[in-house]
Amino acid sequence: MPRLVARWKGVALTLVGVVATVWLALGGGLGLYIHPRYFGFTAVMAVLGGAAAIAALALAPRAGGADDADEVDADHETAPGTPPHRRRLAQLAAWGTVLLVSTAVVTLLVVPPAALTSRTAVQRDIDRTTADLAGEAPSLRGADPATFTLKDWALLVRQNDDPAAFAGQRPELVGFVTPAPGDPDDAFYLARFTITCCAVDAQPIGVPVHLPDWRERFAVDDWVRVSGAFGPDPTSGSGLVLLPEELEPVEQPEQPYVY
Amino acid sequence: MPPSPLAPLRPAPLAPGRRTGGRIAPLPLALGVAGILGLLAVRWLAPPELSAGLDDGVQDFITLSASVVIESLPFVFLGILLSIAVQLWLPADLLTRRLPRSPLLRRAVVSLLGVLLPVCECGNVPLARGLVLRGLTVGEAMTFLLAAPILNPVTIITTYQAFGWDDGILVSRILGGFVIANLVGWVFSRHPRPMSLLTPAFQAACAHDHAAAGSKPRRAARMFADETSAMLPALFVGSAVAGLIQVVVSRELLVALGQNPVLSVFALMLLAFVVAICSNVDAFFVLSFGSTFMPGAIVAFLVFGPMIDVKMLALMRTTFTARTLVQLTAIVALAAAALGLGVNLLA
Repeated sequence: MPRLVARWKGVALTLVGVVATVWLALGGGLGLYIHPRYFGFTAVMAVLGGAAAIAALALAPRAGGADDADEVDADHETAPGTPPHRRRLAQLAAWGTVLLVSTAVVTLLVVPPAALTSRTAVQRDIDRTTADLAGEAPSLRGADPATFTLKDWALLVRQNDDPAAFAGQRPELVGFVTPAPGDPDDAFYLARFTITCCAVDAQPIGVPVHLPDWRERFAVDDWVRVSGAFGPDPTSGSGLVLLPEELEPVEQPEQPYVY
Repeated sequence: MPPSPLAPLRPAPLAPGRRTGGRIAPLPLALGVAGILGLLAVRWLAPPELSAGLDDGVQDFITLSASVVIESLPFVFLGILLSIAVQLWLPADLLTRRLPRSPLLRRAVVSLLGVLLPVCECGNVPLARGLVLRGLTVGEAMTFLLAAPILNPVTIITTYQAFGWDDGILVSRILGGFVIANLVGWVFSRHPRPMSLLTPAFQAACAHDHAAAGSKPRRAARMFADETSAMLPALFVGSAVAGLIQVVVSRELLVALGQNPVLSVFALMLLAFVVAICSNVDAFFVLSFGSTFMPGAIVAFLVFGPMIDVKMLALMRTTFTARTLVQLTAIVALAAAALGLGVNLLA
């Protein structure tokens, strides 16, 4: 067995990765993991990789022939003359590989694809990442605020805490609920992750929403649609928050991240 | 007369009994197709309510690790296919004949090969392996491995888009990458027995490559199985480690260091090491630290990250001995730190 495992582990992992990728690409789930600009490239390379793996299976094995001499080299770990400890080591490596492939099957194919949760938003310090990105905020002047994403609003509010600048704006925003810094009972963050490449570089951004006893209405990670106006925080009197007029739970959007 | 580089796309010779022996093996082929159908069935039948039972930390660990795998896999396939093309269809002496004779100039030219082969760092380990099999020295292969992810058009364009000419970040990255890659190549070229820098398994591959026989499609198929077996376990384990560190290590700690001219450099180098992000997009990632971190720290991140990180070490371990990697990491880390501190001094 160690010989077969050592030779085919790459093809096995290729097939697991390719099936997972193609499934995500067909089902619209690639966006949970990577930036849309890679969708085409990823799908094409997955198909090529899968075809190469099948070709490798169809062409590479040989029962007897010109390069049989190679096999002796590659397989000497398990040849009859090898010391027992080397053979045990090869057995152990084979079981490790089986474990790795099984883990890959479970994590990529059994566990349902999911977006990052609020835990990562807290761990990555949503307050800090929103502040860091604030310099990229779009300009309100001359733009159509109806096209603004949650990210645009989050950065704008962070950049400028003058309520007058937001007079007359009534954004309608969709995001997930995550605790605000300091975990107050009267405000939460309406959050999204912005990704530049893949989920591993996700930066949480969020708009503070003022809602006393929000925990009675929503749980952390619930997706919510909020519309309202920006105003000074009624609790502290400083800093801008979204004062909601309408709040309703919604399904997680097909594309949970913003770019 | 070498066949065109497009040759790998030609269908394999199917006729049985050909002298080259390109026969199809029906049983493994059937097993492969059955495997794909089986994996599809697993996905199809997996209960969707399963995620409800998972802790958020476990769930995010899986999402983060899977995203690294899904992002990197196509680049790895691209690198392996290019590597196979280089090994099978590039005439054996083309590289050694065309490159300048002076070792210094040779390494300088090798470090620019990434312009022609725009593969990010996860894809170019197989390419570097292919180049060693093709007659490049170990030092030259290292120069290629370190320089190509930085000195390639995709990386340069994305770095320009992220930073423009601000603070000399783009220029420092390009020049720094070039100098460090050549420095490392020079250091390792002085090793008395360069083959001892390689893992025994890869040394064996180098020795046996010359004896390999069979039709080119058959050899290409064999190489694909071998290269994926060398690269993919490392990629999967490295992605899991990257995902795990992301869930466990606090970012707050790193970010608090950002304004210190010395500590910021080391903090972002550490971050580069743990996030293990592809070089052609890392500029966008580090852009979000642009406001809190000093430019030297950004440069150190952009030079160190493509050369050394958890995923790269796992991938390079397939080719180089652990001892070599420790030395390599030390040289690159010191040089990148010196570069970053220098930029901070001027800033």
